[in-house]
Amino acid sequence: MKGLLPGLALLGLAASSSISLAATQGVIFNGSVASVCVLTVGSNGTMTVSPNLQSLSSHNSGGTAGTANLATTGGVTLSVDSAVTGVTTPAADSGTIAWTPTYAVSGAHNFPEGGASHALAGPGTSVVTVNLAGAKTGSDTFVAGNYQATVTVRCEP
Amino acid sequence: MTSKCLYGPLALLCVLPGAVSAQSMSPMRGEIMSFSNVFAVRVYPANPYKQRIKISVRVYDQDFYPVEDARVSPSEFMLGGDASRPVLVVVPFNGTTERKVRICTESIPFPNDQTQIRAQICGKFLGQRRS
Repeated sequence: MKGLLPGLALLGLAASSSISLAATQGVIFNGSVASVCVLTVGSNGTMTVSPNLQSLSSHNSGGTAGTANLATTGGVTLSVDSAVTGVTTPAADSGTIAWTPTYAVSGAHNFPEGGASHALAGPGTSVVTVNLAGAKTGSDTFVAGNYQATVTVRCEP
Repeated sequence: MTSKCLYGPLALLCVLPGAVSAQSMSPMRGEIMSFSNVFAVRVYPANPYKQRIKISVRVYDQDFYPVEDARVSPSEFMLGGDASRPVLVVVPFNGTTERKVRICTESIPFPNDQTQIRAQICGKFLGQRRS
């Protein structure tokens, strides 16, 4: 028994020394998030004509705004082109239409309706509500038929 | 995030950050140095929708006028849901030592609605010519 105890002590010492030799090493992970902007068109809008037939707008009764969902890491600028594209009008309408696109932002970013660009400094998801109004002046009025225009919503650094 | 690339006379492409699904376009900024009379950028438009959409990649100057002499390959294509693909843009310096361009990924609007919305994601890129 006397000879067994030193042997066990040596065994324990060897075991403890093997534990102390087990080194640990940290594994470092690096990540970099670039400026990201995701725009997803939720729905296009519809415009209705005003009682005096000189306004064709998504703001008029029965009209609906278009929506786009925005997700960003921040550090981007959101804007709407002041000029619309892809305008189609009925053949009977030869007059001039003044188009005014506007937009509002709600959610992680909040901006009232207007046409100016906005810097989105922080991250988050928001809903962009887009409206479009066409106006005629003088004695010119909208005529029966299909009107269409495209509003460009832009996100850039 | 800014990506810096160096292009030699053989127009070797640098490695840009990998595209992530549901990202509209990456990178959104970049500085490119070139020893030739053109500089090239590789961007990765992505489709955040679940369905296939038609995507267009266009090049504009700082005032949003189209850069007609830029070559985009491919400039229009169908892209599956949650997918992305590389697009190569080559821009000539036109005798200048540097040129700033916007490269924009545009979705083709859904048809048959009165007010259509075109989503446009633009990146700003600066090409610098080294001699």
